[in-house]
Amino acid sequence: MTATTGRPASAAVPASGDEPGHGPGHGSGRGSGLGAGRGPAHRPGRWAAPPRPVWEEEPSRAGLAGKGLVLALACLGILFPLWIVLVTSLSSRKTIDQAGGLVMVPKGITFVAYRELLGGGQVTRAAVISVLITLVGTLFSMAVSVLCAYGLSRTGSLGHRWILMTLLATMFFSAGLIPTYLLVQSLGLTDTYLALILPSAISVFNILVLRGFFMGISPELIDSARIDGAGDLRILWQIVMPLSRAVLAVITLFYAVGYWSAWFNASLYLNDQDMMPLQNVMIQLVQKQEAPVGLGQAIKTGELSGLAVQMAVMVLALLPVAVLSPFVQKHFRKGMLTGAVKG
Amino acid sequence: MSHSTVPRSGTEADTTATTPVASDGATGARRARPPGEPSLRHRLRRDRVLLLMTLPAVVLVLLFNYIPILGNVVAFQDYDPYVSDNGIVSMLHSPWVGLENFQRIFEDSAFWGAVRNTLVLFVLQLVLYFPVPIALALLINSVVRPRVRAISQAVLYLPHFFSWVLVIAVFQQLFGGAGLLSQLLRQHGYDGLDVMTDPATFKFLVTAQSVWKDAGWGIIVFLAALASVSPDLYEAAAMDGAGRWRRMWHVTLPALRPVIALLLVLRVGDALTVGFEQILLQRDAVGPGAAEVLDTFVWWNGVRNQDFGYAAAAGLVKGVVSLGLVLAANKVAHLMGEQGVYRK
Amino acid sequence: MTPNAASASSAPSRRSFLASTAVATAAVAGGMPLLAACGGSDSGSRDGTTSGKDAKKLLPAYVAGNVVTPDIAARNGSAVGFTGKLDLATLKTSVPKKLGKGGKVSIMSPFWGSPPKADNAYYTAMNDLIGVDVVWQNQDGNTYDQKLGAVLASSDVPDVVVVPGWNMTGKIPSAIIAKFADLGPYLSGDAVKQYPNLAAIPTDAWQRSLFGGKLRGLPMPSSYVTSIVPFYRKDVFDKEGYQVPTSADEFHALAKEITNAKAKRWACLDMKWTAFNMFGVLSGDEKSLGWNLVDGKLVNRIETQEYLEALEWTRKLFAEELVHPDAKLGKSQATDPAPKFVAGEFLIYNQDISQWYGQAAAQATQNPDFRIWGMDIPGHAGGNPTLWAKNPAGIFAFVNKKASESVIRDVLAVANVTAAPYGTKEYMLTNYGVEGTHYTVKDGLPVKTDQGNIDVLNAFVMVASPAATIAHPDLPEVAKGQVEWQQRMGAFTRKSPFYGMQITEPARWTNLANDFEQLEDDIVRGRKKIGDMQQAVSDWKSKGGDQLRDWYRKLLDDNGSAAN
Repeated sequence: MTATTGRPASAAVPASGDEPGHGPGHGSGRGSGLGAGRGPAHRPGRWAAPPRPVWEEEPSRAGLAGKGLVLALACLGILFPLWIVLVTSLSSRKTIDQAGGLVMVPKGITFVAYRELLGGGQVTRAAVISVLITLVGTLFSMAVSVLCAYGLSRTGSLGHRWILMTLLATMFFSAGLIPTYLLVQSLGLTDTYLALILPSAISVFNILVLRGFFMGISPELIDSARIDGAGDLRILWQIVMPLSRAVLAVITLFYAVGYWSAWFNASLYLNDQDMMPLQNVMIQLVQKQEAPVGLGQAIKTGELSGLAVQMAVMVLALLPVAVLSPFVQKHFRKGMLTGAVKG
Repeated sequence: MSHSTVPRSGTEADTTATTPVASDGATGARRARPPGEPSLRHRLRRDRVLLLMTLPAVVLVLLFNYIPILGNVVAFQDYDPYVSDNGIVSMLHSPWVGLENFQRIFEDSAFWGAVRNTLVLFVLQLVLYFPVPIALALLINSVVRPRVRAISQAVLYLPHFFSWVLVIAVFQQLFGGAGLLSQLLRQHGYDGLDVMTDPATFKFLVTAQSVWKDAGWGIIVFLAALASVSPDLYEAAAMDGAGRWRRMWHVTLPALRPVIALLLVLRVGDALTVGFEQILLQRDAVGPGAAEVLDTFVWWNGVRNQDFGYAAAAGLVKGVVSLGLVLAANKVAHLMGEQGVYRK
Repeated sequence: MTPNAASASSAPSRRSFLASTAVATAAVAGGMPLLAACGGSDSGSRDGTTSGKDAKKLLPAYVAGNVVTPDIAARNGSAVGFTGKLDLATLKTSVPKKLGKGGKVSIMSPFWGSPPKADNAYYTAMNDLIGVDVVWQNQDGNTYDQKLGAVLASSDVPDVVVVPGWNMTGKIPSAIIAKFADLGPYLSGDAVKQYPNLAAIPTDAWQRSLFGGKLRGLPMPSSYVTSIVPFYRKDVFDKEGYQVPTSADEFHALAKEITNAKAKRWACLDMKWTAFNMFGVLSGDEKSLGWNLVDGKLVNRIETQEYLEALEWTRKLFAEELVHPDAKLGKSQATDPAPKFVAGEFLIYNQDISQWYGQAAAQATQNPDFRIWGMDIPGHAGGNPTLWAKNPAGIFAFVNKKASESVIRDVLAVANVTAAPYGTKEYMLTNYGVEGTHYTVKDGLPVKTDQGNIDVLNAFVMVASPAATIAHPDLPEVAKGQVEWQQRMGAFTRKSPFYGMQITEPARWTNLANDFEQLEDDIVRGRKKIGDMQQAVSDWKSKGGDQLRDWYRKLLDDNGSAAN
């Protein structure tokens, strides 16, 4: 199916009414889906509506306007606050004072807040820490998850069922905050970055999605590789993973966003303020309205606007996510839902 | 609990998407062994690479999901974290008190307050949050222009990927006592309005934050279900003279029914978990009277008051009740003819 | 070491277990804590206090170290004040020889305000002077309680942990006894003379450093006069013609007059602490100070009428929206009041007396018109207030039990420098930083630079301090104001029966009062009713408050009282 339209009329996927639950077994549907993903057919006039089926009545003007209005309001409700945050972070102290607080209309852009924050102080360090944790953590999580998903992708292999059950069961219970805390503490992970990565390294859900996708890859392809003498690692690396780019992109995003957004484990397991990632620094600077390390005097005396600094920290925190997720977004449905839900 | 499985994303997408995958595994595994099945040793040799591949994940799950279960013994102790430097050693050295912690919990009005807040929030979210993604999905689905559709989806998905810290900071800037709304009101001669610190409306605030952050993401599941509706059905209905609304009622909504029912049932199964990080971040602003939920109750008593045995007992109560709810919810799902998270 | 698995309802069973180890260690030191029994098998447990003969054996000898004679002598419990010019060229040296052996010492400490960079010039200079590589782990002072318990439970406790008395809630007191080293061998009696600046710390501050029958803390001596000063913007008051209130009602009326939300101006922040002082509520600084003898019966502060009245008065300020909206966010969310105080968004707030100087110094060069001043606490009905003494040392630095002797010696070397009295080079560096970088000399007076206001904050002064001193050669009028305020307020200050003692409550009742502060905050912000407090107090009584009263009674009978 071409995800951009998603209209039932243009669905290229096997017709609905498939028995649910057999989805991932169908290899052919997946293959074609992926093929379409690599080279989406270019169609002219993407702003224009596709031709309406003959049986569908002309949409009413009021209906159209109403729909447009609701949709526009919903989008505005999301974008407007972000706009204010961005504009205020770029405003000078004078502009902010004139506006009496948050600024809606940009007037004289200045990067002074960012210059101060990224000049090598607390926020710079926290941002670097967050980036590193996100990179290392995501790489680790992906490696473990992909290996596990592939290891479980052949039904009937030894221990397959037991391992799967062991993983699945964790979706039903949680050991609880206190025992988990005591364990991490007993392992000596407090005040190490491992405490931010290991306890939350894998999500069983993500493994299952990957596995579902891997299972859908044409068995003939894998069998012929095996006959050529390829081992499992090589099959995974050279055949399975290249065919699963979409789902890999989506799961990578999930893990990365998880690491980037996490703050609770850091607040629980890290004692050294200099080790804190960006989210925790943001709690201090924005929610508790503290001044960033080294900038306290400038803010106290009013040389620098505390508000602009707070907003700049928020922009730094949302930037990577806001920039990356739209790129992966086109895979959401192709990679995950057409794969996992329907097949 | 959300804190221990941070990178898990999107509960909605979670559960549905998992469904077929998981059940497939179960059925696959149950497939009868063919007559010529090789010996265990042979299989071990054949599959040892596969087994090794699963090893890291299995070790992590055993270490961080299974072993901590044993740590719940502190719920039956007067646990003293300072007896030694190691949580496990302290466990061995702390005296047993039987069910005393549980007795204390059931007599503690703060605990029952947390239970009440948890349930109220759950109901509020069910009523006010749950329908939003469905409505949005229907709306998006009826948009035919591909570009409009793609852009609005991109915007609606976006907040899902923001951290709670950021979302709450944004809300504080807009609706806090010194925020944009108050600023505008005061400039126009009205009193300021501080939604962020008002315990009376706190639960609505929390729900609104959830809607802002996750309702857009929630539509993804419904859109997938809608995409699977055969256009023939619409055409046939139209031929029978059904108008726009009747077609929605008779074709579209029935197509969503299984997904809605499943999500509903699963949400009920997860009723005792209502936004731990989100609420913890705002607990001080409105006070525990309005904001304490079961998860933050555990945090407060354990981490802040070092009353680990007591906190663990509260956590255990929550865990056991939750497990019961999940199993019951699955049962209901089965009875309704849907798949649950697992299959019978 | 088998845990006592006997019965379900045996709260004291932990203590019987502990007794086995505690007795052994106590016996070795010969300083068996003088204990007030509270029920059965308590011998050798951690609770109680240390006094009399037992204390004498542990306390360091006192050797006065007069370097400069103060301009204002201590009176009514005030600090000593220095308001004259200080000849920076002839500062004395109190630590002639570096005592540090070059080791590394990690110190965790609460920090109020925004901390400086880790490798700043101030820290480097201090480390050079001491001869120890101190690594600071600064934590947000406002939410320190949320971190402290977890750190103490972990296996890597920093070498030194600073614990303010008000954070000794829940199981923290037992953690202090379990996790921190006995400094007695290094400091008791004449041993302290190796560290002359520590020997000059007053004995009542050391008395407060006895925990579980051992000398464990390095004290920060302080005036016993309340440290909570209601600050106001004197420049704005003068301009607008506002009068400093002389009763609770006047305060309220003034708050109404000041507040103009449309112009983004409110009267004050949360004034709960000041209200407690106006209404004569017993000190909430430490649990033991909350008890008073009334007609021969011990009464806790939460049981008094004054307590409820003070809450009700504060609640009214909030309810009538005379309080800046930031203050509604609660204690963990409005940390540094400075920017909004300077901007005039509110004109009154109450905080530790040290902010008097801190705020004044921070604005001295940039905003010359800005003037912060402390108002006298009025009695609630007008006239003189009844104030209750806080303890003569409220913040302590502890050394990790696992620290080697050389680390302990290095820590004491740090303390010996930070405790240097006014008029010494060490005091100047500890409190002002490096000349040229952190302050410049103008007309013979040190003037803090911006860098000085960023770097020279908190940190080293938390380890150990000289006898309570107020000296600000750069702003002598502030120093004078501070000392005189303490002396005026000191005249109205009374000592409650357990003043001066370091008391560890029995473990089973330590969690009893955990939620009262939160409840106070909820009530003044209108989230809970006064009735909820009355309910909480009656719960408190039935869940152990009355037994705790008996326990304190016994302690009082055994140790005598400091009350006057």
